[in-house]
Amino acid sequence: MHALNDVTFTVDKGEFLLVVGSSGSGKSTLLNMIGLLDRPTSGKVIIDGIDTSTLNDDNLSAFRNKKLGFIFQFSNLMQDLTVLENVLLPRQIQGSRDNAIKDAKDLLRAVGLQDQIYKRANEISGGQAQRVAIARGLINHPTIVLADEPTGNLDSMTSDTIIQLMKSMARKLNQTFIVVTHEREQFGDIDRIITIKDGRAFEGEGAPKMEVAAK
Amino acid sequence: MLANKRGSLIGAVLAVTIGILVIHVNFVIFQGLYDAIVRDMTNYRFGDVHVIDDEDFIDTSDLVLVNWFERIPYVEAATPRLSSSASINATKFGERHEETRVSVLGVDPFRDMRASTAHETITDGQFVFSRNSIVLGSWVARDLGGVQVGDSIKMNVVDRWGQDKVKQFMVSGISTSAGGQGFDNTVLVHIDTLRDMLDRHGETDAILVNLNDPTKAEEVKDFFLRSFQNEEFDAETIEESAEEALHGFRSGIAMINLIGYFGMMSSGFAIVTILMMLVTSKTREIGIMRSIGAKRKDILVLFLFQGIIIGAVGAGIGTAAGLGYTSYAKETKMAWEGSLPLEVSYNWTKITQTALTAFGLAIAASIYPAYRATTLQPVEAMRTV
Repeated sequence: MHALNDVTFTVDKGEFLLVVGSSGSGKSTLLNMIGLLDRPTSGKVIIDGIDTSTLNDDNLSAFRNKKLGFIFQFSNLMQDLTVLENVLLPRQIQGSRDNAIKDAKDLLRAVGLQDQIYKRANEISGGQAQRVAIARGLINHPTIVLADEPTGNLDSMTSDTIIQLMKSMARKLNQTFIVVTHEREQFGDIDRIITIKDGRAFEGEGAPKMEVAAK
Repeated sequence: MLANKRGSLIGAVLAVTIGILVIHVNFVIFQGLYDAIVRDMTNYRFGDVHVIDDEDFIDTSDLVLVNWFERIPYVEAATPRLSSSASINATKFGERHEETRVSVLGVDPFRDMRASTAHETITDGQFVFSRNSIVLGSWVARDLGGVQVGDSIKMNVVDRWGQDKVKQFMVSGISTSAGGQGFDNTVLVHIDTLRDMLDRHGETDAILVNLNDPTKAEEVKDFFLRSFQNEEFDAETIEESAEEALHGFRSGIAMINLIGYFGMMSSGFAIVTILMMLVTSKTREIGIMRSIGAKRKDILVLFLFQGIIIGAVGAGIGTAAGLGYTSYAKETKMAWEGSLPLEVSYNWTKITQTALTAFGLAIAASIYPAYRATTLQPVEAMRTV
């Protein structure tokens, strides 16, 4: 039995794509495959024209670092590092120091955390941590930012703020976002939605009805 | 990333430190004891070069031999020795005490004081100074009912013809020394008195040669044996004498050192355990690092770096603590309540070797945990709470 089956879609640059579906539908598996954290048993993930199935483990890591940004449900910051150090981490892994601190500070200003940069990650709130995660996801100017239930651990007010922030960053930077959520309503107007049900992907909302209609 | 696991890292550093310290302590105590025994053997019994006759007593004039040696620039002094055994009796407070089979050493007092430190073992009274003075070892004095300086004793030896020879002596001193290489169980008399009693005029048991440069012992020995080829002399350096006498002790030291290195190996296992715990407790962070692009080798380097830090800090602290202990031991000689003062030295080869072994061991011990960290899959790792 496969978590995902016969899933094919293309995402354009600058698109804000929402992947929705109920729990266990396979949307996180899909995100992990796009994020090159899981390999599909068959099929390909092509990013920027590169067939990622041909990459070895080291090249996959480098690819993830350069082309992909991640925002997780639990922010997943390094608790003993400062806000600034967390944002700098992907750049440090890349080994590039050019303007790293300036870029990180600019991003932290953009997400409204310019006053918190020297605080440790365990000293800030959940909403602030998620903003740091957004900044960290953007520091290497990735092709795609992948967000897995980015508001799943936040109250509704903070969730709205985070969603608006992601949307505004997407617009401002012409940045592709693929966001997995089961709380579709919170996101309001969105470029595009894909619904995952029972491991299959359907364009738009209300996939079950479409499925019924197809029958 | 691993900074907030300071407790674990301190534990690992401590394991390395203790491993090194155990080896330093072992070395100071056991090598110090060995060197102290060799030192006393040199000072009291053998000198740097010890000359005997292969077959019998040396019948060449002791004066000829001593003068021959003292013409060599490396030789500080030389002295003849003659030994035998005797029974001794003393009457103390009306009660007669007798000791049989006591070792007797005949010395030339004036030459002996230049060539050996036997005279420095006198804790009461003075060294042999005349034909009828005798120095008693402290155990002999005790067994004779507590004989003191100034008391008279009678010594009976059997001469070369099997005849008993008895002579009365006045106790001039009591000799006490720690470590068993001294004269606690021996009596010292003038060599000419002993020659008379044994009817061995002009004969000598051994010549003890003291060098001002002990590293030249082999050279002096060879020169002596070449010069007296027609005689049946045998000569040994102190290394050879010690090797012969202390072979078992050296094996014991090797065994103790081995135990020390086993102790260090158990430090290595402690590091493996601590780093494995660190990997387990940092699984989520490893997953995050991998997901944002860290390669397996980055994770490997991160944990190997921990091993390097543990090894470097542990080796540094352990070596510093070991040197501190060695310095303290050298200062005090670890001699309390009459125990043998240790001959403590800094063996820089061994100190460096121990530090490098500990450092290497810490790095080797971090390889497996580091490898385990690299095998974690990012998705599974990040699910770890």
